[in-house]
Amino acid sequence: MTRLLALLALVLLGLPSARAQGGKPPADLVLASLVAEPAAIRAGEPFTVGIRMVMKPHWHVYWRNPGDSGLPPEAAWRLPPGFSTGPIQWPTPSRIPVSHLMNFGFENETVLLTEVTPPADLAPGKPVRLAAKLDYLVCERECVPGSAELRLDLPVAAEGTSTGANPQNRALFAQARAALPTASPWPARLSAEGNRLVLQVEATGLREDRIRSVAFFPYSETAIEHAAKQDVSVDAASLRLSLARGSASEATPAELPGVLVIEEETGDGTVRNAFAIGEAPAPAAVPAAASPTAAPEPAENLTLLSAAGLAFLGGLLLNLMPCVFPILSIKVLSLVKHSGEPPGRVRLHGLAYTAGVLAAFLALAGLLIALKGAGAGIGWGYQLQSPLVVAGLAYLLFAMGLSLSGVVHVGGRLAGIGDGLTRRAGLQGSFFTGVLATVVATPCTAPFMGSAVGFALTQSAGVSLAVFASLGLGLALPFLILTTWPAAVRRLPRPGAWMETLKGALAFPIYATVAWLVWVLAQQVGPTGLLAGLIGLVLVAFAAWIWERAGDAGPVGRPLGRGAALAALAALIGLSLSIDRDRLSASGVAAGAGGVEAFTQARLDMLLAERRPVFVNMTAAWCITCQVNERTALATDAVKAAFRERGVTYLKGDWTNQNPEITRLLERHGRSGVPLYLLYSGAGEPTVLPQILTQGAVLAEIERLPKPVTDRSASLGQLP
Amino acid sequence: MSTTRRILLGLSLGSALLALPFAASAAPQVGKPAPAFSATDADGKTVKLEDFKGKTVVLEWTNHDCPFVMKHYGGQAMQALQKKWTAAGVVWLSVISSAPGEQGAVDGQGANRLTQSRGAAPTTVLLDAPGTIGRAYDAKTTPHMYIVSGDGTLLYQGGIDDKPSANLEDLKTAKNYVDAALTEIAAGKPVSVKTSKPYGCSVKYAS
Repeated sequence: MTRLLALLALVLLGLPSARAQGGKPPADLVLASLVAEPAAIRAGEPFTVGIRMVMKPHWHVYWRNPGDSGLPPEAAWRLPPGFSTGPIQWPTPSRIPVSHLMNFGFENETVLLTEVTPPADLAPGKPVRLAAKLDYLVCERECVPGSAELRLDLPVAAEGTSTGANPQNRALFAQARAALPTASPWPARLSAEGNRLVLQVEATGLREDRIRSVAFFPYSETAIEHAAKQDVSVDAASLRLSLARGSASEATPAELPGVLVIEEETGDGTVRNAFAIGEAPAPAAVPAAASPTAAPEPAENLTLLSAAGLAFLGGLLLNLMPCVFPILSIKVLSLVKHSGEPPGRVRLHGLAYTAGVLAAFLALAGLLIALKGAGAGIGWGYQLQSPLVVAGLAYLLFAMGLSLSGVVHVGGRLAGIGDGLTRRAGLQGSFFTGVLATVVATPCTAPFMGSAVGFALTQSAGVSLAVFASLGLGLALPFLILTTWPAAVRRLPRPGAWMETLKGALAFPIYATVAWLVWVLAQQVGPTGLLAGLIGLVLVAFAAWIWERAGDAGPVGRPLGRGAALAALAALIGLSLSIDRDRLSASGVAAGAGGVEAFTQARLDMLLAERRPVFVNMTAAWCITCQVNERTALATDAVKAAFRERGVTYLKGDWTNQNPEITRLLERHGRSGVPLYLLYSGAGEPTVLPQILTQGAVLAEIERLPKPVTDRSASLGQLP
Repeated sequence: MSTTRRILLGLSLGSALLALPFAASAAPQVGKPAPAFSATDADGKTVKLEDFKGKTVVLEWTNHDCPFVMKHYGGQAMQALQKKWTAAGVVWLSVISSAPGEQGAVDGQGANRLTQSRGAAPTTVLLDAPGTIGRAYDAKTTPHMYIVSGDGTLLYQGGIDDKPSANLEDLKTAKNYVDAALTEIAAGKPVSVKTSKPYGCSVKYAS
C-alpha cells in the first residue's frame, strides 16, 4: 500500500528525480519470512518464532532505538483465538554511521525472535495459521518503507507426543539466540557530569589491554547524542562510559537501560559480547515517559533490609551447624561453671564474644571486598578455594575434637585451642571464642549461605558489610541472650559429670565436619595431596597424644615427648605445603561446586589414561567471553545433565593469574589466550569447541560422545 | 612509539579535548538563542534569520524523495499547515540540506518547481547544499522541525508529529506538535511540548 502510494506520488507529480529510489520495490531490498523453532506446537506450551529479514548488501533495517533517523520494524500479529505473543527480543545492533549522524540497526540479515503462547485448550490435529503484517523501513543512504505479509502454518501435536525442534531451523535459532544480549552480571550506575551522562558499570577484573571496543546502545531515543564519541575507561573495578547528553532530553534519567557491547581480544581473534543493562522495558507496553519517578533508592533499601534480615536468620541457623554448635556449647558450659560471677561481668563476656564474631565476619568480608576490588574473580567461600585453608580448618577442628574426646586433657596446650579459651576468664578469651566460632563457621556458611552472601557482594561495600554484620549478629545472638539475662544461665543444669559425657558426644559433629572438609579437599587436590592431607590428621593426633604423655613423663621423657610433638607439628606444616603443591593450578576456580574440578595436567592425564571422557574449560575472571559462555552454555541444567549422563568429568582451569600448565595446554592448541574448550571422548585427540558457545552446540558435541558402558557413578567428576 | 607519533597523539588528544565543548554546544537548546544563519533562497536572494525579527519563524528540513516527507506532502498535511500559519504572519522556511548528488538535492529552479507542483506554501525555500545551517541546528531527519520566536529564541525542536511512520494513514490520528506549538505561541502561552524525537530519513549531508 505504502509502496503503491510512493509510486503514485512520483508518477503524478512527475518529479524530475534522477535517483527516485523512493519508488524502488522493496521486495528486492528485504526478503522477510516467518519461521518457527518447533516442527509442531502443543496446547499451552510457549514456543519461539522468528521474523527473518535478509537485506540487500549495504541496506539496513533498524533496532528498537533507530538512532538519529529511521524506524524499527513493527509486526502486527493476526493469530488464532487464544494465542498471545510476547515482545520482540531485539538482537544486538550495530552502529551504522550516515555522514555525521548515527543509526542503530542491522545489515545483511537479522532474526527478530518472539515468543508465542498457544491457548491451553488448543485441539490437536488441525494446523494453525500464524500471520503478521511486517512494516519496516530499509535504508542505504536513501530510505524505502516496505511491508510484508508473513504467514506460517504449524501442525498441532497431541499432548504427550514429542514436538521437538525443527532441524531445518535449528542453526537459524541458535544463531538468533547468540545474537541476543545477555543480562548484565554487573550493577550499573548513572550520574550526570555537566552535559555528559556517565554510566559506570561495576565490571570487576576487566583488563583494558584485552578490550578492543566498547559501544553503548540506549533504549531511550533521546537520552544521548547517538553519534557523539563514547569515552571509555576501564580499571580493575569498573568500566566507565562518558556519553554526550541528548540535546532534547531535559531531566537526568534515574537510569539508562540499554545494551553494552564489548569487543574483546581472546586467544584467537576478537569476540563481541553484548549485555543488557537495566530492565528492558517491553516496548510500547508502558509509555517510556510515564514513570520516570521509579527511583531506585527505595527498592535498594528494601533489598538491603530483606538481605540483612535473611542474613540474620542464616546467622542464627549457623549456631546449629555441626561446625559451630560444639564451640558454642563449650562456651555455654564455661558459663555454667562460672555462673557465680557477677551478672555485669557475664554480660561483658557476651559482648566480647559478639564483638569477636562481628570483627571476624567484617574482617573476612573486608578482605573479600578488597580482593574483589583488586580484580580477583572471587566470591564468598573463597577461603575454601585454597586447599591449605581447608586442610588447616580440618586440622584445627580435628584437634578440637580430640580435646573433646579426652585424648588431650584440659590444661594441655593443644586443647587450649578450644577448651582453654573458654577457661580463660578474661574477656579476651570470650572475644577469641567469637573469632573462632566465625572461623569454624565459614565451611558451613559457604554451602548454606553462598547465594545470599554472593548477592550481598554485588552491592556496594557498605551494603555488603551491613549484610555480613547481620549474619554475625545472628550467629552471636543466642550467646548474647544467655549472658544478658543471667536468669537464663541459672536455668541451665548444674555442672556435673554429665558435662564430660556431653563433651564427648559433641566431638562427633566436629569429626563429621572434618570428614566433610576432607571430601572438599579431595575435589581440590590430586590423590597425592589428599594422602598428605590425611597423614596430616595422623600427625595432629600423634602430636596431641605425645604432648599429653610428655606432661606425665619424667625429666628425660618430658623434653623428648615435647620435642617429638613439635617435630610432628613441623612435619605437618611441611606436609601442608605439599598439599598445595599437588593442586598446581593456583586458581580461584570454585572447585567442588557443581561437579567442576580444578584443572591440573596430572588429573587430566589420569582421566585420559582411564579412557574417561573429559571436558576442559580454560577460563579467566577477566575474560568476558568466558564468563558469558559459562553462564549461557556451560552452567545450564541441560548441559550439566548431559555431562552427568555421559559420565564426563568437567575440569576447569583458571588463567586469571599466570599458570604455566594452562599456558602449555593453550599453546598446544595454538592459542595464546583463553577461552579454550576441549572435549576428550576418552580416546584420541580432543575436539576443540568454538570460542563462542551456545547450549545447543555444546549439547550436540556431548551427544557425539560414545555412550558410557561402565558404571557411571565410577566417574570421580560427579558429585552427589 | 616514536617521539613524532607521541607528539602527534598528544596533539590530536589535545585538539579532541578542545573540540569537545564546541561539539557538545553545537546542538541548539530550546529556550536559548537559535543559531543565526545567512543563506541563499530558491530565488537567489540572501536570507538571514535576523531579517525576521519580531516574527515567529518555522524551519522545516525537507527532501522531496524521502518517504516520510512524501507522507506529509502526499497527504496535503504539510501544505495545509504552511498555508494556515503563513496566513497568520508566521515565516515558514523550508530548508534543503541535501549535498549535491544526494537524494533531495535541487537547485533554485527545481525547488520552485517542487513548491508549485506540490502546492506548497512556504515563505521561501533555503538551499543549504553545504549543510551549514543543518549542522548549526543539528538537523537529523527530514522532516525535522524548529520554531524560533520573534526575539530569536528557539521554542521548539523535534518531529512534526507523534506518529513516527511513513504511513499516510497515521496522519489522521497523529498529534501535530508544530501546529500545537504555533497555536500556543499565537495565544501568548508557553509551548507545552518543547522537544520531541525527530523521525524520518537522515538528512543527506555530504559524507
